[in-house]
Amino acid sequence: MTATLTAARNGQASPGTAALTATQTAVVAAEGVRTRLGGRWVHDGVSFAVPRGQVAALIGGSGTGKTVLLRELTGLERPIEGRVRLFGQDLAGLSPAALNDLRRRFGLLFQDGALFSNLSVAENVAAPIVEQIRLPADLLCEVVNLKLSLAGLPLEAAHRRPSELSGGMRKRAALARALALEPELLFLDEPTAGLDPIGGREFDRTLRILADSLGLTVLLTTHDLDTLYDLVDRVIVLHEGKVIADGTVAEVARAAHPWIRSYFSTRQ
Amino acid sequence: MTAPPHSDGYCRLETGATGAVLRLTGHWRLANLPALHAELSGIALEPGQPLTVDGSALASLDSAAANRLLTQLGALGYAFDRLRLVGFGPREMGLLRLVAERRAACTLPPLTRRGLRRMVGWHVFRLGRATVSTLAFLGQTAQALAQLITRPGLLRTRELAVQLEMVGLRAVPIIVMMNWLIGVVFAYLLGIQVQKFGANIFVVDGVGLAITRELAPLITAVLVAGRSGAAFTAHLGAMKVNQEIDAIAVMGLSPWQVLVLPRILALALMLPLLTAVADVAGILGAALVADWHLGVTPTTFFDRLQERLPLNTVVFGLVKTPVFALAIALIACHKGFAVQRDARSVGLATTATVVHSIVAVILIDAAFAVAYPEIK
Repeated sequence: MTATLTAARNGQASPGTAALTATQTAVVAAEGVRTRLGGRWVHDGVSFAVPRGQVAALIGGSGTGKTVLLRELTGLERPIEGRVRLFGQDLAGLSPAALNDLRRRFGLLFQDGALFSNLSVAENVAAPIVEQIRLPADLLCEVVNLKLSLAGLPLEAAHRRPSELSGGMRKRAALARALALEPELLFLDEPTAGLDPIGGREFDRTLRILADSLGLTVLLTTHDLDTLYDLVDRVIVLHEGKVIADGTVAEVARAAHPWIRSYFSTRQ
Repeated sequence: MTAPPHSDGYCRLETGATGAVLRLTGHWRLANLPALHAELSGIALEPGQPLTVDGSALASLDSAAANRLLTQLGALGYAFDRLRLVGFGPREMGLLRLVAERRAACTLPPLTRRGLRRMVGWHVFRLGRATVSTLAFLGQTAQALAQLITRPGLLRTRELAVQLEMVGLRAVPIIVMMNWLIGVVFAYLLGIQVQKFGANIFVVDGVGLAITRELAPLITAVLVAGRSGAAFTAHLGAMKVNQEIDAIAVMGLSPWQVLVLPRILALALMLPLLTAVADVAGILGAALVADWHLGVTPTTFFDRLQERLPLNTVVFGLVKTPVFALAIALIACHKGFAVQRDARSVGLATTATVVHSIVAVILIDAAFAVAYPEIK
């Protein structure tokens, strides 16, 4: 863990041997990622690596490119410079078919759920499964119901449309879909945004249980301080295109950087 | 128990001194679920016997496979707390516990059969709701129009100008091209007939009447319905999905003044103009064919046209177009406002706009034809 942290800190300019091994064994790794958006460098050499089984959070003010970074890590966009590795493989060197194979190994929870509006919740969860595996209807239904209840969604909601669900239920339905293919890695974009504080804490608890029991590696972006304290093993702070702090919540909360100071002082 | 030990790919049942032992091997993963299911279904256990599940030879275990195992054992009468679990790692134990706690029975939705009565009722209510919402929309539009007439300052000139350009100017190339082509085809086919009687010159009478009275207004209206009608619905529908229409309303503005009236006015102003352009394009196409195919020179063609085509016919063709425009714009804006908050509904509404407005245009045209058959 300490090795990874130092590796991530040093990894920007010249990755040493420790950094190389750390980023290659890590489940998710960014190495010197630079991204230009709207005429400015949103990421100016962002490096970090998340080892297997860790729940890591990316935090930073609005416009620091957290969501863009998540899109780059999942291969939806390409960084202008730098490398992105998933499960040790460099995304830039992958063929589209290989990238799709890799994508079946992780789940992504979009900020607004991105549920298919013309399918019911159960059909949404079944969608990635039926594309991959031929299952008889009763087994498929069993798997879908398991995912829904793992995500903490009442089964009555299974046959409703996403537009008939509340925000919190939509998040849970989207989580169930992200879990459908038994991913090893889960990306979550603002998992608790738009949920009430009680719903948010319940969602964090669900995620923590899933991460521990399913052995998931999780990388999430958040603005929610409670999520950091409840759920997260490690915090990576983005500010002005760089990683300015990286460590456990307690370590990062002690950092002297003014942005981090004011971020943590919002919690009274 | 004397059954021979089961020795397939994923699990093996053995009988020991302390009862039955189920040894799990291989990859217990979602991808292997059908095979796992087949093997688990083949297990025969005498109920009441203590059962040990040994996971020491497991290569991997995921939640779907764990769920299948526990469901199958549950069906055989072994609840989770009655199982003796040995050889599982701490992560797998956690997984089994979580799955045991969250496991849910399969609940396929009750098959809702739509009987005839139910179908009829559903359609009647849908029709009723559609009628009410159409009347409400018409009422709102009329009210907004009355407001605009009493206070002309409410007119959104910018939006009107944008719409005039979008539905009018930008439609000119396609309208000219299509009507020119229709003129060419119509004159060619009519020419073949009149040639048989040596009455080549009569092609001018036929073409002039057909194009200005029916073809140009209809083709133009149909093109505009497909082009601008669909654009109105898709634009307003996407605004509805994105809550932009609500945002306009809470600014204290009327969505009808801001969105609907400029579109209706733009279309009602532009469709007659486009039709006039279409008349000219169609007749030019016909004149070309008459010259090239029938030996009617352009001079003869236009002299004869002036003589035989009364102005009334042309005006009649133009007069009905604002009515077409009104129908297209009202249908398109209404469908746009009726979009629900999902992606599918935008597509459905856009399709409905195109179909309904083309049907409306043809019905209105038929009504005009029946009402004024003798117009000269």
